[in-house]
Amino acid sequence: MLELKNLHVEVEEDGTEILKGVNLTINKGEIHAIMGPNGSGKSTLAKAVSGHPEYEVTEGDILFNGESILEMDPDERAHAGVFLAFQYPVEVPGVTNTTLLRESYNTIAASRGREELDPLEFDDYIREKLDLVEMKPDFLERSVNTGFSGGEKKRNEIFQMAVLEPTLALLDETDSGLDIDALKVVANGINKLHGDDDAVVLITHYQRLLNYIVPDFVHVMIGGKIVKSGDKDLALTLEDQGYDWLEAHATVNGEAK
Amino acid sequence: MALPTKVEPSILHQLAKGVAENGETKWKDLREKSLEELNTTAFPHKKIEEWRFTDLRPITRTDFVNLDEAGTLPATNIEQYFIPESDRSRLVFINGKFHEKYSSIGGLGKGVTVGNLSDHSEDETVQEYLNQLVNYEKDLFVPFNGLMFEDGAYIHLENGAKAEAPIQVLNIYTDAKEPYVTTPRMLVVAEEESDVTIVEDHIGLSENRYMTIPVSEVKVKKGAHIHHVRIQRDSRDAIHVARPIAYVEKNSEYHAYTITLGGKLTRNEPRVIQEDEEVDFTVDGLVLIDGDQVADTHSVMDHRFSHAESHQLHKVVVNGNAHSIFNGKIFVRRDAQKIDSFQENRNLLLSLDGLVNAKPQLEIFADDVLCSHGATVGQLDPEEVFYLQSRGMTEEKAKEVLTYAFALETIENVKVESVHKLLIDEVYRYTKANNVEKVSA
Repeated sequence: MLELKNLHVEVEEDGTEILKGVNLTINKGEIHAIMGPNGSGKSTLAKAVSGHPEYEVTEGDILFNGESILEMDPDERAHAGVFLAFQYPVEVPGVTNTTLLRESYNTIAASRGREELDPLEFDDYIREKLDLVEMKPDFLERSVNTGFSGGEKKRNEIFQMAVLEPTLALLDETDSGLDIDALKVVANGINKLHGDDDAVVLITHYQRLLNYIVPDFVHVMIGGKIVKSGDKDLALTLEDQGYDWLEAHATVNGEAK
Repeated sequence: MALPTKVEPSILHQLAKGVAENGETKWKDLREKSLEELNTTAFPHKKIEEWRFTDLRPITRTDFVNLDEAGTLPATNIEQYFIPESDRSRLVFINGKFHEKYSSIGGLGKGVTVGNLSDHSEDETVQEYLNQLVNYEKDLFVPFNGLMFEDGAYIHLENGAKAEAPIQVLNIYTDAKEPYVTTPRMLVVAEEESDVTIVEDHIGLSENRYMTIPVSEVKVKKGAHIHHVRIQRDSRDAIHVARPIAYVEKNSEYHAYTITLGGKLTRNEPRVIQEDEEVDFTVDGLVLIDGDQVADTHSVMDHRFSHAESHQLHKVVVNGNAHSIFNGKIFVRRDAQKIDSFQENRNLLLSLDGLVNAKPQLEIFADDVLCSHGATVGQLDPEEVFYLQSRGMTEEKAKEVLTYAFALETIENVKVESVHKLLIDEVYRYTKANNVEKVSA
């Protein structure tokens, strides 16, 4: 589904290279976790895949369902099935959750040749999705993320994911800022949404989330490269031993740093 | 009755000459006084601080004529601007002249007088307040209006009277062969514990040049409430110089919302003056301009007594080569303690060629006050645009949604439903029309 080929990405503004040759293949039905210390490029990876204009691909390619999406705008990528749950969801005062989601849902539906929903049908549709993240209906009429607590914002991201039904969900530190109950709710929601036809990428610092969402693959990112991949046990090792042994490894090979 | 001109004559002085010599008026004293003032007041220019940023050439370089020489065309199809709530509480002025045919004043209940000022020239209230409330120093436009107007809107509420419906004051400006000047006038006196909502609308039917100089005086007596919506939808080539002033007495409330959409050059100078303790007032504004429009708001909120709450949210969206000017003066006099005053001026700049001058001006002489103020000028946040795009909206749609959301906050409090809806449509139309230009992120 998603293939990153020798992906190099720099910040457009100052030309700092952040991703320095990432190779990664993600197939339908899989859950991948990407872990790594701060500043290793995890979030950049998610933003580059979803098309953030601030990040420029200087080398390599991003293939989605076999085709390069480098020339596609973020909205076109969303139409194709890419979804990014933001680490810091943006507040949009004046636009209600319902308004945003109906607009998004219908644009995506139209581009995929699905039927658009009128306001009443849409209302029924999203109310079902609310249960998934255990949110109250009054949440729908509030301005997007405006005045939300950190936890509410993260839940709202997963709620949006539930409504938009992406085929590739990139979840950027969705677990940070959540207490244990909220974490369970969010993890539960993600597990229910995940099926054989979609893939999930969890970007996280901590093993904690992976107790509730079991990844098929775990990758460690350091210095803009994936330095190690493994199964879910790798996350446990990291929890236990930290990143130092990998950082040393990366430096010895003279690759990442 | 003409006095020798003591200042360099401007186009306004020239226009005034003809009127001064024509004696037919119900406002003889007012005219004489206005003429005297006019003849000793110079036309403003850029060297005066208050006019520093405002290009007045659209006035000085236009050969304006008096209304009766302008060859004005008839007003057609104006029913579309009638708001349904004011079906029986509407005053219509066409180029400043009262039109009984379109007006309807039967539906306001006991104790409410609504009509043409010139039909009420002998009323005690009119005699007492007309032209007594205007307070603009060294100003040419107020005396010009005083000299020129004959008709005007008059709204009076007796003690305890509640207007059963909002009153629409509709000012229509027609097309004409020559650019003309018109001077709408309004006097509102709300006696103790009365309550009224006023929708003042200025609409240009065509795209011609004209100049309108509306002056309105509002007196909010003890415990009275006024909700005042002002919508400026002038011709895109019009000049609009407005002087709306309100005086608020003890326990009264005055809430004004001004929406500026039309006009080539707009200069709006709302003033609210506190006359006693325990008052609550609002001077909110929304300005949506593009092309070569210039919209200038110079406001004064004068806190003269203790215990006042005041609110000013002035939001501006600028696109194209448009130019917005904001000068918000907040005075808190020496003995005016326990004042809670909020002022915020937020400007959204959609183009690289747009220009914004923002100047909050707080003059506080009391020590126990809470005054918050802020002025920001910014573009749309690229992170917000990306967020909406990542949810499937095109870049254009995302910008439209964000601009719309930015503008909407200021009209939330407009409580006349059809006007609220109308304003939402106007905002929508603006954001939609202004999405062609790309912003460099």
